[in-house]
Amino acid sequence: MTAGQLDQSNMIKFNFVHLILSRHQKTLMNAFFATIRISFRRQLTYRAANLSGLATNLMFGFFRASVLIALYQEETSINGLSIQGAITYAGLTQALIGFLSFFHWYEMMHTVYDGQIGSDLLKPLNFFLYWLGVDTGRALGSFLIRSLPLFLVFTCFYDIVLPQSLLQWGAFILSMILAHLISFAWRFMVNLAAFWTPNALGIGRFAFGLSWIFSGFFMPLALFPEWLAEICQVTPFGATVYIPIQVFLGAGSGESLLNYLLIQVFWVVTLVLLDHLILARGVRKLVIQGG
Amino acid sequence: MEPIIQVNQLAKSFKVYRDHKGYFGALINLFDRKYDLIKAVDKISFKIYPGELVGYIGPNGAGKSTTIKMLTGLLVPTAGELTVNGYIPWKERKDYVKDIGAVFGQRTTLWWDLPLTDSFDLLKRIYEIPDETFSKNYNLFREILALDEFMKIPVRGLSLGQRMRADLCAAFLHNPSLVFLDEPTIGLDVVAKQRIREFITYINQEKHTTILLTTHDISDISKLCERVLIIDHGKILFNGKLDALLSEFGGKRILSVDFAEHYPEPLLDGAQIIQRNGNKVIYSFERKTISASKLINQLSSKYRISDLEVRDQPIEDTIRRIYEERLLYNHSYGKENPPS
Amino acid sequence: MRRSLSLLFRLLRIQIRSQLQYPTSFILEVIGNTVVMGSFFVVFALTLSRFENIGGWTLGEVAFIWGITEFSFGMMDMVFSGFDYDAFGPMVRKGQFDQLLLRPVNITLQVLGSRFVLRNLGKIMEGLIIFLYGLSQIEAHWTVFKVLYIPILSISQVLFFGSLFIIGATTTFWTMERLEILNIFTYGGSEIMSYPMHIFPRAIRLVFTFLVPAIFLSYFPTVFILGKTDPLNAPEFTAFLAPFVGIAMLLIALRFWRFGVRNYQSTGS
Repeated sequence: MTAGQLDQSNMIKFNFVHLILSRHQKTLMNAFFATIRISFRRQLTYRAANLSGLATNLMFGFFRASVLIALYQEETSINGLSIQGAITYAGLTQALIGFLSFFHWYEMMHTVYDGQIGSDLLKPLNFFLYWLGVDTGRALGSFLIRSLPLFLVFTCFYDIVLPQSLLQWGAFILSMILAHLISFAWRFMVNLAAFWTPNALGIGRFAFGLSWIFSGFFMPLALFPEWLAEICQVTPFGATVYIPIQVFLGAGSGESLLNYLLIQVFWVVTLVLLDHLILARGVRKLVIQGG
Repeated sequence: MEPIIQVNQLAKSFKVYRDHKGYFGALINLFDRKYDLIKAVDKISFKIYPGELVGYIGPNGAGKSTTIKMLTGLLVPTAGELTVNGYIPWKERKDYVKDIGAVFGQRTTLWWDLPLTDSFDLLKRIYEIPDETFSKNYNLFREILALDEFMKIPVRGLSLGQRMRADLCAAFLHNPSLVFLDEPTIGLDVVAKQRIREFITYINQEKHTTILLTTHDISDISKLCERVLIIDHGKILFNGKLDALLSEFGGKRILSVDFAEHYPEPLLDGAQIIQRNGNKVIYSFERKTISASKLINQLSSKYRISDLEVRDQPIEDTIRRIYEERLLYNHSYGKENPPS
Repeated sequence: MRRSLSLLFRLLRIQIRSQLQYPTSFILEVIGNTVVMGSFFVVFALTLSRFENIGGWTLGEVAFIWGITEFSFGMMDMVFSGFDYDAFGPMVRKGQFDQLLLRPVNITLQVLGSRFVLRNLGKIMEGLIIFLYGLSQIEAHWTVFKVLYIPILSISQVLFFGSLFIIGATTTFWTMERLEILNIFTYGGSEIMSYPMHIFPRAIRLVFTFLVPAIFLSYFPTVFILGKTDPLNAPEFTAFLAPFVGIAMLLIALRFWRFGVRNYQSTGS
């Protein structure tokens, strides 16, 4: 979705006045929230796609859970992870797919390639905030009609572990927000490659692949050998999947919980900073060299 | 002479589904789908003879593209008979398609990533064009359409005008008997349009290729076509010579007079003043009501004039009138008039 | 017929040529593909090391079945790229499919020749490596029949996955929206086929036996080849149905495809 397409969205009117006013802080925030709202509504219109995605994720959730059950057999707990915990892990990873746009996100890249970015950059909006707004709306919509129902149905079939206290729930929500920010910042950075090469899609595919490997998405990290689990935990990818799930499972409490959240905050800050630096470079290059 | 296109009571209706709204709408749709039946083409009949260059016009949504899609075999009619070049297009697609060509203004018939030379080479194989025919046509078209300047460039790198010229070349390469041109001049500048019109006229005259031209550009029609079909709301409103259409509905003509001295009220019987600018007055009059010569006689007997000019109302305005005022609905056109 | 085939190869050659325009970036992409795809197996292998076995199958045995499935899927994805509905759907929507219908060439061949994603060599290599690893780890009693059955099994899998692709592409004639639900059978199918199927709950097994007969193309043949005991107690002949199931699926899919093409209502612009 581009800024130009915003006003063509089915049945949605967008108030461009918000964007055309000066870059006053409050106006910026207004534009930001408006973007989220509209993107959220747009995501809700993709009913068939979300339903299909939900069904697919659910099926894969069953697959993964079955594999874990077959692995565990008689064992009740491996490295602190119970079979229920492992199953919960499988369900949560599937639920996170839609929320984090885990497999692909090339929207920004496409606007660079089809030239739409030219008109986007002409508008007095904060480019980074704009895309963050778009992605956040999408994530919220996806969470509501895909991730949440998916997980609820999943729980009907299996015994799962839930957060025990209000504090844990709160920490989980916070962790999810941070995970979303990290995921966006990473995907945005990958898309920035489009400023430098016509082959950014290939790079993107590889970059996404990396995120799958190190995020603990496929198998619970607790089942990994120690050294591998350690590495994954400190990558931004682990911070988007593994850490929120750990918080949910209550595996971190007190100090380790704080550690998890701090790692996430670290990555949010780092990636967002990098994004801004690279974006500035990219725009300069675009402006100087032309499309 | 046998017609090359024969259409008899051809009809095409579409189901337009009315989807249920709401989150569960998608689920409900699976069980209960409501739809409206839209008659895109409503029992039309016409004949087109070999070697003709016929225009096919109508407002947006009139049924033009639906007709063309049925003629090219891309759409199966709901009712009626359709024979083109001896084939039923949608039934005998592969054989039928060997002897026709098509150019679509909105998209290319060539391969996006291939240099033109490669595209043409592929076409040569696909249509099994004999070497001699191929090189003759190829060289001829290259020259007329000035393709050499961008022969090596893939289609994705061409400008609209260049792409259109390339598509035209491709359509006629295999000497088809019949070619469909769908908006071939859309979006082009005046010079490019001219070049393409010249090419179309040339092909039609030299090779006697039958051409069916769909367009919104009325100048295309007036410059290229003798015969024109007008369709609206799925029905053929007119089928005959363009001259006949204009003389019947051409309506207003314009008389522009430069008076030698100032006249406060230079009225003319049978004409209306539509514009005044000092001593210059512009009148409009109906062709049917009064002739130009009578008006000029009136003028010269009543006033002193230094210059005058008689013009026809632009064809666009005539056609627009026809669309807007549904003029043809009041006539019993719809029968075909074979060319004399 | 021969002319059509030579045309098909020409179209494929054009596809390949344009993808090899930047050889270094292409090779990097393929290698990247191999690594990323292979990492899933590596993760699984590392996980399995914490346990004895899975459903009575050792890592080598899982590698055997996993590798063949990946290899075949990669092959299929490359050959049937034209029918991948991620690409086919847009082609129909944009009216490019109409263009194919206007040419005097068999439409199926044209679709096959319209796309050939060479990048899939990554998955093919990955599958091969995993398969060879599995081969090195297992102890089976090899007979000539068993050895010959392996490539037959792979080809059957290619036909099987290909038919799913063709069916998926045909559905785009009627629905404008992506039917992600078909992913359950293509990608889900290939995932479930990579494991010994008896570990999955009955409901899932039934779906992949009677609705989409994946079990005949992976589990039963592999049980036979590896000489495993089958807790499902299926009759012996089920192991040899693979080629028949593959061919039957393909014929059904092509039938459906031809039906779709014949009734194609060109509503694209």
